[in-house]
Amino acid sequence: MLFDLEISVYLKALWETAYMTIASTVFVFLLGLIWGALLYATDQDGLWEHPQLHKIISILTSALRSIPFLILIVLLIPFTRILVGTILGPTAALPALIVGATPFYARIVEIALHETGSDLKETGLSFGATKLQVLLRIIIPESLPALIRGITVTAIAIAGYTSIAGAIGAGGLGNLAYLYGYARNRIFVTIASTVLIALFILFLQIIGDLFVRKTTPK
Amino acid sequence: MIQVQNVSKQYRNTDNEIALDNISISFNEGFIHGIIGISGAGKSTLIRLINRLETYDSGDIQVFEYTNLRRLNKESTRMLRKRIGMIFQSDHLLARKTVIENILLPITFHRKPTPEDYDYAESLLKEVGLTEYSNRYPSQLSGGQRQRVGIARALINKPELILCDEPTSALDVITTGQILQLIKNLAKKHHLNVIIVTHDMHVIKEICDTVTVMEKGHIVESGTLDDILFKAKHPQTRIFIREIGLDLSNIIQSHDPNQLLLLKFDESVVEQSIIAKMINELHIDTSIVYANVTPNKKGIMVLQVPSQQESVIHFLRDHKVVVEHVI
Repeated sequence: MLFDLEISVYLKALWETAYMTIASTVFVFLLGLIWGALLYATDQDGLWEHPQLHKIISILTSALRSIPFLILIVLLIPFTRILVGTILGPTAALPALIVGATPFYARIVEIALHETGSDLKETGLSFGATKLQVLLRIIIPESLPALIRGITVTAIAIAGYTSIAGAIGAGGLGNLAYLYGYARNRIFVTIASTVLIALFILFLQIIGDLFVRKTTPK
Repeated sequence: MIQVQNVSKQYRNTDNEIALDNISISFNEGFIHGIIGISGAGKSTLIRLINRLETYDSGDIQVFEYTNLRRLNKESTRMLRKRIGMIFQSDHLLARKTVIENILLPITFHRKPTPEDYDYAESLLKEVGLTEYSNRYPSQLSGGQRQRVGIARALINKPELILCDEPTSALDVITTGQILQLIKNLAKKHHLNVIIVTHDMHVIKEICDTVTVMEKGHIVESGTLDDILFKAKHPQTRIFIREIGLDLSNIIQSHDPNQLLLLKFDESVVEQSIIAKMINELHIDTSIVYANVTPNKKGIMVLQVPSQQESVIHFLRDHKVVVEHVI
C-alpha cells in the first residue's frame, strides 16, 4: 500500500487511458486525414475547388470543434449506447473522443496540405499527373512529417480529454484522480495519477518525434 | 509551334482584375524566347496557358497540333503536358524523395519507370553536372544544385518545349549565370524550344533570341534581342534596358544627336584598331561617347563626329563596320 492504493489499480488506470488515447488516435488519424483532405481539396487553390461544399464542411468542422467536450459526451450518449451497447467503460468513451478530436486534426491536416500544395500542386499537374495522383502521390506523402507532428499534438489533446471522460465513468487515470483522489480526499492518489498522465504524454511526444525524424530526410 | 490569338483572361476574384487583355503572339520553333515584365504584367499567366495550368476566357491558343486549348479534354491535356517540361522559380522538388526519384517522378504518373528510364535519368544527371548526387536528398543540395535537378526532371519525358517560370529568381548572380548557360546548352543539344519568363533583363540578354515585353496584361513590344536592345520605343522596355547599362537614349540626349554615329561591328573588326587608323588617315576630331559589347558578342559604339561625317561613314563602311545615324 505504498501508493495509498494497490499498484495494480494504477496500472489498470494507466492501461485504460493508453487504450482510450491510442485507439481513438488511430481513428482520428484516418478520419481526420480524409476530412482534412476534403477541406483542402475543395478550398480555393485546392485541387477540386468547390466554394459551396468547402463552406459547408468548414462550418461543420468549426461547429463540432466549438462544443465543449463534456457536453459532447452527453450529446452522444444515445449514439454511444447503440454503437457500443453501454455508456460506461473505456470503449464507451471512444465515440466522443473520436468525434471531438477529428475536426481538430482535420484543420491541422488542411493547413499542412495547403502548405505543401501551394508549391507542388502545379509541379505535379505540369508533369501530366492527374489531380488524384497529385493528392495521393505528391501532396500527402510530402506532408507526412507535418501530419505526424499534428497527430502527436492531437493525441496529447485526446489524452487530456480522456480524463474528462474518466470523471464521468470511462475509467482511466482521470477517473482515478477524481474519484479516488478528489472525492475521497486522498491527495497522494491525485498527485500520482497526474505524474502518470504526464509521463504518458511525454511518451506520446517522444514517439511522435521519433516518427517525424524517421520520415524527414536529413 | 505556338499561336496565341486575341486571348483575354480575367481573374475571378473580388477585383475581377484583368490578367491578359487581347494578347496575340506566336512562338516559332528553334529559339529561346524571353518574356519580361514587372510582377502583375501577366507573363506567368501567359506561359501557364500554354500547358493549360491556366485557362482563358476568349480567343484561341494552338500548341503543337492541339487547337483550341480551352476545349481540350483531360486526357489530351495530360498528353500535351507530357510534351512540355516546366522549370519553376524555386526548385519545387519533393523533399522526401532522392534526386534520382525526383527526376523520374514525371514518368511515374504515366507508367512504372524501366531500367532504361533509370539510365536516361542518370545521363541527364550527368549533363547537369550532378553525377555523384543521385541518392542524395534535396535538403543536402545548394539552391543552384536543386535547380539543376529541376532542369533534369523537366527533360525526363523528352519534351519538345520547356517553359521556365523565373528559373533563376531565387539564385545569386553567379549561380544564375551558370544555370542560364546550362539551359542554353541543353536547349541546343536536345533541340528544345524554350520560353523563359523573367523580370530580370540580365536573363534576357544572357540567353534569349527573341524578347516580348509585357505590361499590365498587354504586350507592349516584341522582337529580336537586338531590336529590343537598340530600337526600343516603349518606356517600360527602356527601363529594363537601362538595368543592363545598354540604354543609349540617355547618351543621345546629352549630345547633339546630329553629330552622333552608331557603329556596330563583329569580333574580326575589334582587332584592327580602326578608330585610331581613321583618326590618323582622315585627320579628324572625334570622341567615343559610348562603347559596349552586346550579348551577341557584337561591338557597339557611339562616336561624336562634329565634321566630315561623310568621309568617316565611308571609311568605316569600307572596314566592314555598320554605321547608322542615331536619329
